[in-house]
Amino acid sequence: MSQHAPKEIHSLSFGLMDPEEYREMSATKVITADTYDDDGFPIDMGLMDPRLGVIDPGLECKTCGKHSGSCNGHFGHIELAAPVIHVGFNKLIRRLLRGTCRNCSRLTPVDGSKYADLSEASEAADEKLREFRGNLDEARSLRQDLSDELKSAMRTCRRSSSDTNEDKCPYCGEVQYDIKHEKPTTYYEVQRVLASDYPERIAQAMEPDEEDGERVTPPELADETGIDPGRVQEILSGSFRPRESDREAIEDALDVDLTEEDMNKLMPSDIRDWFEDIPDDDLESIGVSADKSRPEWMILTVLPVPPVTARPSITLDNGQRSEDDLTHKLVDIIRINQRFMENREAGAPQLIIEDLWELLQYHVTTFMDNEISGTPPARHRSGRPLKTLSQRLKGKEGRFRGSLSGKRVNFSARTVISPDPTLSLNEVGVPDRVASEMTQTMNVNERNLDEARRYVANGPETHPGANYVRRPDGRRLKVTEKNCEELAEKVEAGWEVSRHLIDGDIIIFNRQPSLHRMSIMAHEVVVMPYKTFRLNTTVCPPYNADFDGDEMNMHALQNEEARAEARVLMRVQEQMLSPRFGENILGAIQDHVTATYLLTNTNPEFNETQSLDLLRTTRIDELPDPDRVDDDGTEYWTGRKLFSELLPDGLDLEFTSSAGDTVLIEDGQLLQGTIDEDAVGAFGGEVVDTIAKQFSKTRARIFINEVSSLAIRTIMHFGFSISIDDESIPPEAQEQVDEAIDGAYDRVQELIETYERGELESLPGRTVDETLEMKIMQALGKARDSAGDIAEDHFADDNPAVVMAESGARGSMLNLTQMAGCVGQQAVRGERINRGYEDRTLSHFEPNDLSAEAHGFVEHSYREGLDPKEFFFHAMGGREGLVDTAVRTSKSGYLQRRLINALSELETQYDGTVRDTSDTVVQFEFGEDGTSPVEVSSSQEKAAVDVEEITNRVLDEEFADENEKAEFLGERAEPTNLSEHADDWWMAQSDD
Amino acid sequence: MVDVSQHELVPDHTLLGDGDLEEVLEEYNIEKTDLPKIKRTDPALPDDATIGDVVRIERDSRTTDTAVVYRLVVE
Ligand SMILES: [Mg+2]
Ligand SMILES: [Zn+2]
Ligand SMILES: [Zn+2]
Repeated sequence: MSQHAPKEIHSLSFGLMDPEEYREMSATKVITADTYDDDGFPIDMGLMDPRLGVIDPGLECKTCGKHSGSCNGHFGHIELAAPVIHVGFNKLIRRLLRGTCRNCSRLTPVDGSKYADLSEASEAADEKLREFRGNLDEARSLRQDLSDELKSAMRTCRRSSSDTNEDKCPYCGEVQYDIKHEKPTTYYEVQRVLASDYPERIAQAMEPDEEDGERVTPPELADETGIDPGRVQEILSGSFRPRESDREAIEDALDVDLTEEDMNKLMPSDIRDWFEDIPDDDLESIGVSADKSRPEWMILTVLPVPPVTARPSITLDNGQRSEDDLTHKLVDIIRINQRFMENREAGAPQLIIEDLWELLQYHVTTFMDNEISGTPPARHRSGRPLKTLSQRLKGKEGRFRGSLSGKRVNFSARTVISPDPTLSLNEVGVPDRVASEMTQTMNVNERNLDEARRYVANGPETHPGANYVRRPDGRRLKVTEKNCEELAEKVEAGWEVSRHLIDGDIIIFNRQPSLHRMSIMAHEVVVMPYKTFRLNTTVCPPYNADFDGDEMNMHALQNEEARAEARVLMRVQEQMLSPRFGENILGAIQDHVTATYLLTNTNPEFNETQSLDLLRTTRIDELPDPDRVDDDGTEYWTGRKLFSELLPDGLDLEFTSSAGDTVLIEDGQLLQGTIDEDAVGAFGGEVVDTIAKQFSKTRARIFINEVSSLAIRTIMHFGFSISIDDESIPPEAQEQVDEAIDGAYDRVQELIETYERGELESLPGRTVDETLEMKIMQALGKARDSAGDIAEDHFADDNPAVVMAESGARGSMLNLTQMAGCVGQQAVRGERINRGYEDRTLSHFEPNDLSAEAHGFVEHSYREGLDPKEFFFHAMGGREGLVDTAVRTSKSGYLQRRLINALSELETQYDGTVRDTSDTVVQFEFGEDGTSPVEVSSSQEKAAVDVEEITNRVLDEEFADENEKAEFLGERAEPTNLSEHADDWWMAQSDD
Repeated sequence: MVDVSQHELVPDHTLLGDGDLEEVLEEYNIEKTDLPKIKRTDPALPDDATIGDVVRIERDSRTTDTAVVYRLVVE
């Protein structure tokens, strides 16, 4: 392919193409619609002419002499029997027809009839054209879209009066008519002419009407219009057609319209003639470059025939050839073209010619775009619409989005994912059958020669094997089960071996939808049996993955640069801090959080065996000093002490946990507080976040791995399960709940009665009805909350649902309320349920029943179970939620695409500005402050960059003790005049 | 009529003199048309701003106190 050195593209020029240029670049004229002869050879000057390029291997291109594969193909051309309109330009053609004179083809920026004489009119028109040029120059200097200027100029040129034949050309004085465009490619000139039924219309208007009941007599009419009375009689009898001026006089006198539209079709040839006369200077003033784009070139006289390489035919299994859709379309065009010519030569009637012309137009139109509204798409024999030029380019599967912006790649794999808590979060478990398919290139040298030979000797099927070798001469050999032993001995330094993926290789891992940069991260390979990709559960949040059947993609990197970049920039631990909110996105989730809560909340004690068991999967293999020693000498360690073993020395922290207590960590020891979601959770767990920022990401990765290991052993130690009994409340509590709900029902009933008496006072800005609704909702909401509170009071602190809600692991107190107390009011569109039957929600209720149960209040809990009516209302509220999420995902997906396309080429430059590819400044300083969101404080109260704190940290690091530091800062001056007798005093001043 | 330019949330928009403009363009090594744009009809603009002028916008910023942005007046 690349026989030529790459060239730098300096500029691109877009414009219309001169038909002469088509003819010049054409390899051959195409005249027959046939493709291959009986022997299977392409027919000369047919659609598969060998001069248009070759697709069959072995044949030689008649134009360039190259063989299939290296010949890109060459365009041919069809001479159209009559000009046809190019659909792609139908709007521009309409604009030009409406804005230029039908006689002299000049632009008509002013109405000639508004001026005393032609010279004055043309003067004004010239002035307007100069104004257009001025606008263009300004738009050019401001680099704005010039097509907007063209549009606005052509709007000015468009005739002002469309229903009277008044508008005149300012240059030649010709009367201009309105142009009607019938999509896609038909244009009419509309003239107002005397209606054929004018006598009837006049007679009708002369009859007395309702307001002034006087009948107009012919003499009166003659009087009023100044037309000879005899002529009036002739006009009324229809034997004389009134002249234009007389017609207008009668129209004025009788207030009647005597005209009708006369549509005169403009044939493409007429339009072409019209456009040919538009002067270059006029085009220049609307921003059209005449030497690149003459408007008559929008009317095709020659049709380029795409090379055969762009529309290859396929040979089916039964030996039959199947042609490309484009070829089918070209066949149609040539057939009609020929029939057109034959008919014209035979002197066929105009009607037939016009029909054929329209048919030719149809085929050329659908050749370019087969999805035009108002035109039936051209279909294949099977009824499938043909895929023509525009369909090849457009849409998701089109050339741009499908083949250029995104394409299929080698060295990639996709399979179901499943969890493996024994892996590090940097790792990924790769099935051996995937590892044996994806390869990495080994450059063999003296030092890895033995290793390389071992891979080759294993062959392609045994796991750490090799699939291909490449000799120094460039020959690539496939390693097979048969030749592997033999080949292994031949491998020498200088060869390349494509070996299987092995543990420690770096690969890229991805889950769609790739909404943020953490959706694609680099992992280290751990080859494993079975068929799924395995990942540590702590990387679920960034990928938004779960294991209900999710699949993920893997890409093996193919060069050293890519591997280095992936390892340094893309590895999971490097992506720990999210650029969205500047805090960690990796951390403990679900059971991990529950476990750390169990471990630290009540601070339980463990004996030596238990303690070692909890820590056995971490790097800790020696226990610290025990917290308590029993009378019989048994040693005990508390949960907080064990957790502290994972913290780095020198970590100081104080914050409030989601359980509500204050967590205090000093020098890497957890002194008090509960470790839960707010401490170690993904999405901003304080401890993880602080370790990542103050220590390192490597330390944070070790911490997260160890926390999850400790957590898993902890939760196995305690055991954690939940069942329906965990949501049941004692009978006395149930009574209280029922009481609360009954109380609410009473209040609602009271409200309704007040309302019905007309005594309900409306809230400011609300109607009485709205006020009632609000107050009912309020009362019922309160009832649900108090039911929740009652239920909550009866749950022990070790209730699993409470533990999960309190630690932030999963669920909320509201969920618990709904399970144990009362599900509460169901809502659609934020209101009580009001839809269904006329004046009621279900036929089970009286019309206009305003009570709670008739409008979707569910008084039962999920544990008790819902009654049928409640169930129905609950389903209504649930459905709304489902529809909302469905709509939201599709909307946000589209928004995401638009945003990514708009922002993808922005880049921060070395001077700190953010610019697009044309060097336009988007931000003068990245993010207004030039800071990275992951490097600055994410808290709203504190300064983004706390200079004070940073200097303190640096100084603490720099100096051995406080004195030295104070001395450096000039806060303390070293005395220079002390006698040795003062040494005792001097020593007492310092710390040691 | 409310003058939005006096509102506390609308940052100061001031016209840039030729000399200052020269300096700004020099600093970023750009042409006038490479600047971000602002419509002439934008109510925050000073009344005497015309197409082709450059305005200097000084915004309050949580992180840097003030952030300065330049915009080219168009349309
Ligand atoms: Mg899933
Ligand atoms: Zn060729
Ligand atoms: Zn004219």
